[in-house]
Amino acid sequence: MKFKSPLIFFLLIVSVLILSGCAGGGQASATGWPGLAADESTAYLAHNRHIYAVNLSNGLEKWRFPVEQDNKRSFYATPTFTTDGQLLAGSYENILFSLDPATGVQKWSFAEANDRFIAAPLAIEQGIFAANANNSLYALDLQGTQRWVFPTTGPLWAKPVADPDCNCIYLPSMDHKLYSIDAQTGDTNWLTEDLQGSIVGTPAYDSGLLYIGTFANELIALNASDGRVVWRTPTSDWVWGGPIVQEGVVYFGVLDGTFYALEAATGSVKWQQKFDGAITQSPLVTEDKLYFTTEAGSVYALNLNGTTLWTKNLGFKLYTSPIQAGDLILIAPSGADEYLIAFNMDGAQQWVYLPEAKK
Amino acid sequence: MWNTLIIDPMVNTLLWIYDLLWNNFGLAIIVFTVLIRLITLPLTYQQTKSAQKMQELQKSKQWQDIQKKHKGDREKLSQEQMRIYKEMGVSPFGSCLPTVIQFPIIIGLYQAIIASLAVTPTQLFNLSTHIYPFIPAAALIPLDNTFLWMNLSQPERLTIAGIGIPVLAIFVVITTYIQSKLMTPPSQPGEQGAQMTQAMNLYMPFLMGWLAYSFAAGLALYFIVGNLFTIAQYAIMGKVEWRNLLPSALMPKKVSKK
Repeated sequence: MKFKSPLIFFLLIVSVLILSGCAGGGQASATGWPGLAADESTAYLAHNRHIYAVNLSNGLEKWRFPVEQDNKRSFYATPTFTTDGQLLAGSYENILFSLDPATGVQKWSFAEANDRFIAAPLAIEQGIFAANANNSLYALDLQGTQRWVFPTTGPLWAKPVADPDCNCIYLPSMDHKLYSIDAQTGDTNWLTEDLQGSIVGTPAYDSGLLYIGTFANELIALNASDGRVVWRTPTSDWVWGGPIVQEGVVYFGVLDGTFYALEAATGSVKWQQKFDGAITQSPLVTEDKLYFTTEAGSVYALNLNGTTLWTKNLGFKLYTSPIQAGDLILIAPSGADEYLIAFNMDGAQQWVYLPEAKK
Repeated sequence: MWNTLIIDPMVNTLLWIYDLLWNNFGLAIIVFTVLIRLITLPLTYQQTKSAQKMQELQKSKQWQDIQKKHKGDREKLSQEQMRIYKEMGVSPFGSCLPTVIQFPIIIGLYQAIIASLAVTPTQLFNLSTHIYPFIPAAALIPLDNTFLWMNLSQPERLTIAGIGIPVLAIFVVITTYIQSKLMTPPSQPGEQGAQMTQAMNLYMPFLMGWLAYSFAAGLALYFIVGNLFTIAQYAIMGKVEWRNLLPSALMPKKVSKK
């Protein structure tokens, strides 16, 4: 390598700095969008270096885990409660943690996976089912001991869904398939044909049918007993967030900003509307309203026939599903100083959580 | 602008090659790197030619004479140098300009590889915004990141007897070092820039090796292919100093005539 002038030397150093600064593929700079859950009194937010517990009544921090920031550790998977009151948090450093939701103290950890926990774990009476990006579903008991591992042929980014009727779980995979697995043994009940696109949203299960969205621009209904396709409805872009079914209607959004309401029985479009940015998450559907956010920073409240009730633009990128906590709607922006914003159901802001730097 | 002109075409070309090459991302990186280097070959050729002209000029008697003559007068020396450049038809920036043009391409190439390796939701979402409609993205995603023993999206280690050996990083250090040695023309002691070149020849392999050690294996693969291509390219152009690879003790000694 020859350096004919200081200019080339300077450019080389600049390029090396650019390369090191942009190496998103490395483990050190993994990124995701926040994961958000809540119980009656507390919101639990997985946001980069910590899990934060925030008091719902005033937006003040109760605790954070870990207390001291560890730059090798990051959390984005939605925190999940177990049936016996643990709080589970999957990390991008390949570890699943069990925490005490009251104090944030670690109870146990599971470190046998060798890739990121992007999906929230599923926790039911039979145990914990943690999908990992290393193409494996880990079944654990409630003490974190591994029971079995189920391999797939693609990364797992979506939370599985449980079906108590068959004592089985349905596992969506980026390998374009959905698996039905015996929750007790880890044996395969059935798997679908290649559905032509990755599945990264949690399926909705209702009345014997499973509803999934794919990157092949489709919303697909499957028979839960054997995985056969019942109907397929084309969409205008990738379906990222899982659909929600209520009262015979399937609600979901797609990456070009279109929001759909389909007849659950037939897949025919009841209504569809285009909004101002990509929709990457599941909507929040209440008894008579639905709420969702867009990448462009807007929060939308619609009634179930698609009429807009209110909208707000927060000016931040919004990728995380809004959740309801009592009479609050919680929004977790990405790339903002404000980690959590609470609105009442009419869209009036109640409080904002800005984490303080801990020394 | 950067995305539209550089990243988007590169990402889509990479995905297209990946589709053609049986969904093998390692092969796609190799072919893509070679393809980009071939496209920028005229620039590299121009750069080498200009550098050679400049080198010859600096060794000429006329050049040496004005250095001695105007040793204490930098302004006059500069004027004289510019005059000689003009007379000889050499541009002092002739070897720099092609390099400057190549930098965005090299950085874009790297960024395209990293963008395509999307392993987190944010990265995959960003990738989705780069893909042209005619690329069968739904069928291709997730890209198969495995190549030989490697996961191209993770820092590479080959585990032997329980020890993780960074094979690619070692290859990056070796090929960068060989490339530096082969392409460095013999310099006279005290020659302008020689010290800097020597320091960089030692420093760069370890810097590149550190990048390869720390970041995704796909990047290390790109470094190695790039290094090998450059060595081959200079060899074909007859610009390689093979004897630089020999230890100095084995170098043929100059026989002084008495």
